[in-house]
Amino acid sequence: LLFLQRVLLLVASDVDALCACKILQALFQCDHVQYTLVPVSGWQELETAFLEHKDQFKYFVLINCGANVDLLEILQPEEDTIFFVCDSHRPINVVNVYNDTQIKLLVKQDDDLDVPAYDDIFRDEEDEEEDSENEHDGSEPSEKRRRFEEDIIERTMRRRQRREWEARRREILFDYEQYEYHGTSSAMVMFDLAWVMSKDLNDMLWWAIVGLTDQWVQDKITQMKYVTDIGILQRHVSRHNHRNEDEDNSLSIDCMRIAFEYDLRLALYQHWSLYESLCNTSYTSASLKLWSVQGQKRLHEFLVDTGLPLKQVKQKFNSMDVSLKENLREIIEESANKFGMKDLRVQTFSIHFGFKNKFSASDIVYATASLMENVEKEGPETTNFIKALDSLSRGNLDKLHQGLDLAKKQLRAIQQTVTSCICTNLVISQGPFLYCSLMEGTPDVKLFSKPVSLCLLSKYLLKSFVCSTKNKRCKLLPLVMAAPMDVEQGTVIMVGIPPETESSDKKNFFGRAFEKAAESTSSRTLHNHFDMSIIELKTEDRSKFLDALISLLS
Amino acid sequence: LPVMSKQGEHMKKFKNKGKDTDSLRRQRVEVTVQLRKAKKDEQILKRRSISFSVLGQSLSPGEDKRDEVIPLSLEEIAEAVNGSNTKLQLQATQAARKILSKQKDPPINQIIELGIIPRLTEFLGRSDNAALQFEAAWALTNIASGTSSHTKAVVEAGAIPAFISLLSSPHMHISEQSVWALGNIAGDGPLYRDALISCSVIPPLLALVSPATPVGFLRNITWTLSNLCRNKNPYPPLNAVEEILPVLICLVEHEDKEIISDSCWAISYLTDGSNDRIQIVVDTGILPRLVELLDRPELIIMTPALRAVGNVVTGTDEQTQAAIDAGVLAVLPRLLRHSKTSIQKEAAWALSNIAAGPGQQIQQLITCGLLPPLVELLDKGDFKAQKEAVWVVANFTTGGTTEQVVELVRSGVLRPLLNLLLAKDSKTILIILDTISNLFLAAEKLGETERLCLLVEELDGLEKIEALQNHDNNMVYRAALNIIEKYFSGEENPDLQPGTDQDGLYDFSVEKQDFDF
Repeated sequence: LLFLQRVLLLVASDVDALCACKILQALFQCDHVQYTLVPVSGWQELETAFLEHKDQFKYFVLINCGANVDLLEILQPEEDTIFFVCDSHRPINVVNVYNDTQIKLLVKQDDDLDVPAYDDIFRDEEDEEEDSENEHDGSEPSEKRRRFEEDIIERTMRRRQRREWEARRREILFDYEQYEYHGTSSAMVMFDLAWVMSKDLNDMLWWAIVGLTDQWVQDKITQMKYVTDIGILQRHVSRHNHRNEDEDNSLSIDCMRIAFEYDLRLALYQHWSLYESLCNTSYTSASLKLWSVQGQKRLHEFLVDTGLPLKQVKQKFNSMDVSLKENLREIIEESANKFGMKDLRVQTFSIHFGFKNKFSASDIVYATASLMENVEKEGPETTNFIKALDSLSRGNLDKLHQGLDLAKKQLRAIQQTVTSCICTNLVISQGPFLYCSLMEGTPDVKLFSKPVSLCLLSKYLLKSFVCSTKNKRCKLLPLVMAAPMDVEQGTVIMVGIPPETESSDKKNFFGRAFEKAAESTSSRTLHNHFDMSIIELKTEDRSKFLDALISLLS
Repeated sequence: LPVMSKQGEHMKKFKNKGKDTDSLRRQRVEVTVQLRKAKKDEQILKRRSISFSVLGQSLSPGEDKRDEVIPLSLEEIAEAVNGSNTKLQLQATQAARKILSKQKDPPINQIIELGIIPRLTEFLGRSDNAALQFEAAWALTNIASGTSSHTKAVVEAGAIPAFISLLSSPHMHISEQSVWALGNIAGDGPLYRDALISCSVIPPLLALVSPATPVGFLRNITWTLSNLCRNKNPYPPLNAVEEILPVLICLVEHEDKEIISDSCWAISYLTDGSNDRIQIVVDTGILPRLVELLDRPELIIMTPALRAVGNVVTGTDEQTQAAIDAGVLAVLPRLLRHSKTSIQKEAAWALSNIAAGPGQQIQQLITCGLLPPLVELLDKGDFKAQKEAVWVVANFTTGGTTEQVVELVRSGVLRPLLNLLLAKDSKTILIILDTISNLFLAAEKLGETERLCLLVEELDGLEKIEALQNHDNNMVYRAALNIIEKYFSGEENPDLQPGTDQDGLYDFSVEKQDFDF
């Protein structure tokens, strides 16, 4: 990866992408590579950014965008333009895989891509020619023609074989492209690169951790994959941080240390109160069914069981008695087990800046994501992106704290919305999937016009719904969720998520399904998001679109 | 002044406006993008060594078993062809033909290096041995289908006269094979095309066309004829064109799509030239048929027909009028809205040349309802088509009467036109700025300058023009500055006050619904 020229960095709006971007920026800085950074939130922006810069740049780096479409087809670049694509979106478009001159994919070697074999999807030109006379495309006739063996049986045989091959190709591609899912976090891929180049620093390692944690928080990868990747990162952590263990108390203020931990799966609890965190964490709230009166009672029984004084539980975690904090994890875990919450313990990492500040990786993810989707306008579109990016640097604690505040607001809003959706039966079964639509005027609805927040809400809602319903069939259904996007233009944002089951492979078929439903009803949709399962749709077209989706998936 | 010289250059691109009457119409700019794309496809298909599972069913295990010929080595072929045993000659020639007919990578060079081409050419003259003639003709056809040097090897062995005399062979399959070979030679370029013509290839070739000729054979003849009409520098000789044309006129009436397509391509080649060449085609009265074919759904027919008609309207006003009289304006709206962008672009190109005509042709363009599809294309078309549509508007405002220009503005052209000022292509921007100047000239004549100013402002045009003052391109910057200084400088000229409104007759304002989107 040796750049001699200025590079254009196109970065998607998710936390993993930001982390990968931070690592790459650090690498560029140490190699004195000049670059320009452009945030892109969707395909339209990507295309515009490319058109605007294609004359000045030859090298483009795409982070968490671009892998799952035919880039050469949509961008029509010059022949000497080169794209480096580091993107966790799967499946990777086959043309991107097999073009090794203009598209350079940054992928972890052991990632299982399952790409169809070259010969199954591409044919050499010469084979095409034979049948080209059948493809009435209106191009000029050829100047010279060769006469082939004209055995009619052979010709029809060949044509039949070709048809069979084409049918097989369609089938293979269909299987390959049917489900969307995510591969290794881009931040981890980038860190790997730094490590191979022997330029990895502790900061970079932390970003890789945050990138992976983002995938986990957003529920993009399986539990298996998460645990495996945690293991990989843990080895790097001990390599980078072992020297501090002996001199435990000799850390200076600006020193940072990363530690592996078994921590509680409670969102932001170290910066909140235990009580608030228990109420607003999807896992505990769904398990205890906090939307109901009984649920609230259960919560109190649970707290009584832990033996922690309610006053302590409700005050800021920082101000809790130190003596209580000592065995806090064990105490809570023990009671949680009794209340059926067996997975309250998670493997994660935390970072210490000096003595005072300690953050867990998921704290950072929530904070950064909230900064990025902050709906309170503060200047141009890119402000949020830059702020979110800055909050990842250790020197910017104030931005980070602002992010934590926003994240608390967001989690509260999600929790309240989930409660009201379940209490007013807004989640309805449409047959092949569950459907929930937020009305204009619902509190905090503006927050959910943003993709990451809406996805988070959908996941929380589905989890809670599965715990609330007694209908066994409904527990296995995926969820489609819609929220108002732009009232003036009359559009909604719609997302589809896979079913919430223990063995879920996190594969999502809604991308293709949305595409087909839109096509068959000629609904005015915009597939602008890098996740194909998130679309924008004209409000008037929603009912015919849903009808088509139902019949398509039935 | 540089602005003036630019203006002059611009004028030359329109017919009848500059002095150079021959090069008035815009000729087609070759479509380099398509070539680029083809290249791109080639590149994509390079293999990347990730994983190669071998395709289960191989393509041709059983196929060659049907082959009755014992495969001969190249040396054996050469030996037998040069020998005197007729049986072996036939076997070897057939073996060579088979090698040359296989699907992939025929070893044309190796066959040429064997030095058997003169001998194969000689076999063409063996009228006592039809099988040998046929095999040799086929082999030579395939050699001539290669690169120019391959074709050259065949021609230099003296194959042209031999093939021409075989056109009159009593055996149809031999004369058909000869037609094919001659097509390959003609397709090589103007040099061999004219060599064939001077060897009188045309009369015997035309004689093969009859109502009894099988369709497959007729397709070959049509294709070869089209190659005889093809290529410039130089164009095919006029007398040859005059000989071929009457037969082409018949072929274009055929019901077979491929025959229609290839004869349309031939006509498009013949019209891609100076006005006297266009005239010869127009004189045959073919235009109504071509316009009829424009309405066909098949791309292989519509594309060359549109190319031919498009070429005709690059000609004189009379030639353009002939196309209009044949009804071209009635089909153009559909083509401008065609789903295929290449068709939109060609159609807009044709329209731009009609808009470059005199006022009464512009009037017909309006009457036939071309303005709405034009505005649509300008608004939502593919960029290449939009560029052509910009030319239509530019030509229209240059040659149209004030009333016609008013009509154009009322059809809503201004909004999409101003939007295109955001394009990245400076040439397009310049044409648009010129067009805007033309619009202001018309407005000045009516004393409606103020109103046009308002309209431009209302459509966010002013800020776009202002932004262009920072454009890298000097000409764009100057043209934008010129408009701003002249019409938007703020010092209001008392003559141009809205007070001089002429009882609303020439109302520039567009109906409101055209604005909101």
